Amino acid sequence: MNKPAAKEVVESRSAQKPLLDVNAIGISFGGLKAVQEFSLQLPAAGLFGLIGPNGAGKTTVFNLLTGVYEPDCGEIRLGSKRLVNRKPHQITAAGIARTFQNIRLFPDLSVLDNVRLAGQLRNQHGLWSTLIRTRGHLREETMLEEKALDLLRIFELQDRAQELASNLAYGHQRKLEIVRALATNPQVLLLDEPAAGLNPQEKMALAQSIRQIRDRFQVAVLLIEHDMPLVMEICERIVVLDHGVTICRGTPNEVQNDESVIAAYLGTGLTDE
Amino acid sequence: MEQTSPPPQGLVANVLRGMMPFAVGIIFASLLHFVLPGMIGRYYSRIVTDIGIAIVMAVSLNIVNGMTGQFSIGHAGFMTLGGYTAAFITYYGSMCIWGDTASHGGFLGRGEWLFAVSCLMGGLFAAGAGYVVGLPSLRLRGDYLAIVTLGFGEIIRVILQQTGPLIDSAEALKEGGWSQMIPPPVGGALGFGGVPKYTNLFWVYTILTITIVVAYRLKISSIGRAMISVREDEIAAQAMGVNIARQKVLAFVIAAFFAGVAGGLFAHEPGVIVSPKDAGFQRSFDYVIMTVLGGRGSISGVMLSATILTALPEFLRDFEQYRLIVYALLLIIMMLVRPQGLLGIHEIWNLWPLRRSKVSTATPEAKS
Repeated sequence: MNKPAAKEVVESRSAQKPLLDVNAIGISFGGLKAVQEFSLQLPAAGLFGLIGPNGAGKTTVFNLLTGVYEPDCGEIRLGSKRLVNRKPHQITAAGIARTFQNIRLFPDLSVLDNVRLAGQLRNQHGLWSTLIRTRGHLREETMLEEKALDLLRIFELQDRAQELASNLAYGHQRKLEIVRALATNPQVLLLDEPAAGLNPQEKMALAQSIRQIRDRFQVAVLLIEHDMPLVMEICERIVVLDHGVTICRGTPNEVQNDESVIAAYLGTGLTDE
Repeated sequence: MEQTSPPPQGLVANVLRGMMPFAVGIIFASLLHFVLPGMIGRYYSRIVTDIGIAIVMAVSLNIVNGMTGQFSIGHAGFMTLGGYTAAFITYYGSMCIWGDTASHGGFLGRGEWLFAVSCLMGGLFAAGAGYVVGLPSLRLRGDYLAIVTLGFGEIIRVILQQTGPLIDSAEALKEGGWSQMIPPPVGGALGFGGVPKYTNLFWVYTILTITIVVAYRLKISSIGRAMISVREDEIAAQAMGVNIARQKVLAFVIAAFFAGVAGGLFAHEPGVIVSPKDAGFQRSFDYVIMTVLGGRGSISGVMLSATILTALPEFLRDFEQYRLIVYALLLIIMMLVRPQGLLGIHEIWNLWPLRRSKVSTATPEAKS
């Protein structure tokens, strides 16, 4: 365990200007305040966790960050870019990619096409060059395909490239979602319960590969996860939500020993008072 | 697999490569035009012409319904709009140029070029309408969008019924001045008769070729993938950086363009009087059935089903009054046995065993 070393890295990173700077965003649906005053400073290549009991508003935070919902108040910045009021595809183009809690692959597209589609975000070409197949167009299509295959090779999915995404095994589908998100070439990767439904071995492998992804692609990762051992092992810092309110933030050690977190997960004793 | 081959060398080679399918299509169309009527007679040639127009309609509708997954049932509205526009140009154009509305110039003569331009204009006009109809698709989905497109077709039908009577001579056209153009003199509820009959196998199958090549190139390109991703999952598509608003409107515009061109062909077909009721939902439904039956997004599947569904009623003529029942029964059986359509999401060339083995060997090659 090299925890002290990791801690130093974290501190030197957070001393710099954060890559993703979320400042007091909030949203309410009717009378329900789903998320209130949520703030987060995610440094470049940081690996943070977002946890909380069911219904705490974790996925809502993701939806706010990716533009699916518009925050009622607050500010989101990625580097120097302001992201509030942008469309989801513009936010992806700005550099935030995500996976989904319930897998949302394109089931009738091949594995390769799923990845290629995400990769083409930064190589848009016109209708005309597509229809008459200009040389530039053909070159770009070949390049997109190669890039997608490269990425699949890194994650050892290349043998499945021609298969339909819906025919993949569940664990592979989860993996493909991450590959697809990476294909958009993001600076920040939001993973929504990537370990859900995986067996213990797969979870171990996932923990490894999340770290590797962070190092290899130099992306900052924000992770929603219910699997506590996994979160505690890989996350540098953790934010805990309960009923839309941030109840704790800190290193895994601090969070594990925080009374309000224990209360949120296990409830408070009656007789203690 | 066209998309995995390396880019060809040299500009000339590339242009040739890009234009090759069109050239082959035009040669095929000329062959049909000159050889077929002699072989099978005029009645069957007419059916082959109808099949060609139906394929253009079904393949273009498939870009919206099949690839992009937006349920449009107003496709005949675009067709009729394009048809009226094209007919207006050839009818009054011929009057201004030659003083009458007969066909002029023979094969590829001046009249036919006027006709080709009019079809293009019909397509562009319909594409403009497609843009307008595409806009609500940004906010509506599923059944609600279907109702909007249905309403569009009906609006076109009603507007065309309110148009003015035809001006039937060049003199009257010159004397009347501009005021007679409002409402447009396109025949009202009676339909637009007397249009010069330029449509023949050559033009139908040339345009058919263009439609298919465009649809296929779209499908295998990144634009097509973006459209398909909208069909598969809009939220995920957005999260992958697809501008879904752009893809939907683009699909509507392209589909409407080809429907408009097909309308031009239809309006100039011998024995046809294009009339407001062609914009109604009955005709739109015919094309929806073709796309559903062919398989969503499958170009060859839709071509197959358009061919079958156009030819079938003709071959069922022997059963006279029973033929509509047989037709309906076949549809029901089809939906029970193969709800995903004839070819599902596949293309006919993907089902070919030879092709399939090629696809699977392509992967190890790409690895090394």
